[in-house]
Amino acid sequence: MGDPESTLTEEAELVDQVELRLGAQLEHLSVVRAVAAHIAMGADFDIDAIADLKLAVDEVCTDLIVRAVPGSAMDCVFRLSPDRIEACVRVTSHNDDLPKRDSFGWTVLTTLTDSVSTRLESVDGHYVIQVDIAKNRTATT
Amino acid sequence: MTGAKEHTGDYAHLAPLFGELAALPESDPKRAELRETLVTEHLPLAQHIAARFGNRGEPRDDLTQVATVGLINAVDRFDPERGSDFLSFAVPTIMGEVRRHFRDTSWSVRVPRRLKELHLSVSAASAELSQRLGRAPKPSEIAEHLGMTKEQVYEGLEASAAYHSVSLDEVRGGADDEVTPLRDRIGEEDPALEGVEYHESLEPLVRELPERERHILALRFFRNMTQTQIAERIGISQMHVSRLLSRTLERLRRRLQDEQNP
Repeated sequence: MGDPESTLTEEAELVDQVELRLGAQLEHLSVVRAVAAHIAMGADFDIDAIADLKLAVDEVCTDLIVRAVPGSAMDCVFRLSPDRIEACVRVTSHNDDLPKRDSFGWTVLTTLTDSVSTRLESVDGHYVIQVDIAKNRTATT
Repeated sequence: MTGAKEHTGDYAHLAPLFGELAALPESDPKRAELRETLVTEHLPLAQHIAARFGNRGEPRDDLTQVATVGLINAVDRFDPERGSDFLSFAVPTIMGEVRRHFRDTSWSVRVPRRLKELHLSVSAASAELSQRLGRAPKPSEIAEHLGMTKEQVYEGLEASAAYHSVSLDEVRGGADDEVTPLRDRIGEEDPALEGVEYHESLEPLVRELPERERHILALRFFRNMTQTQIAERIGISQMHVSRLLSRTLERLRRRLQDEQNP
């Protein structure tokens, strides 16, 4: 708000969306985790899905914080639709290596969520690494 | 354990029931009845053990509840064919449960009693509802079950973050000379890990984990069980599984990072 360079989403699109911008520091993990849990609880996901989303967000953020340029920011966007919660986390890095698909962290993410994808963009000599995850509402029949 | 021995005579008449229970087919409705009798009749044993651990800052009701969970586990796992008598199996099992309760669920910060109780009711309601529904409950269902608002349920669910994160390797003083039955049950070779293809760097780190953490990790990430299913299998609450998993992942991440950047 008030910042013309802001990369934040236009207000009209914010209805079912929560955006967080914080320093890429492990100290802030608990904030992101709490937001993720509250969104999932508010959406009345079952307690397994809530716990899974929390663990997955933890995993993504920890991994990205370690890759981030020291002192830079981490952006997290949570999008809520009737049947799923999406979380997109983005940091700026000096390196272009993405989370590896044969790593244990990747196994953790794919087990805990319903979709995981990564994106890499080159911006002004840096790299922007983004990890998108989505957790579906568990069918309760 | 002299205290428990005094009571041996009181339970002798129950011994044949274990044989009967074992002989019944899985589907026989009489099983539930026999199991209940065995649990109810052995309740004084659980209460007795809970009392031994009293005055250590945990409410007596919680301890009795935990000891009863231990007793139920003991009834379910006791194999009369093995030749040992039930009490010598049950006492360490129940004690182990109570000791784990102290180790894992001591509150790290001074949490208001109301919040602790809220957490315990939410935890108990979750267990009951998952049993009844055959799946993990939603906060709205827990709220309805307890006659609470959803906000109170959120608070109860989140309160678990205030639990003490002590490693299970850390041994606290007290009754630690008894056998941990879990060790016997899980042992060195975790069946859930059989046939798992490890990432090379992960294997030694997983091997360093305490048995229970390793078992939970394997069930969640290699056997793809849900936290609620794991909770039922291991005999602890879903919230507890959640805490242990979170701690285990954090520990593995830290160790993996240390290896990459020595």
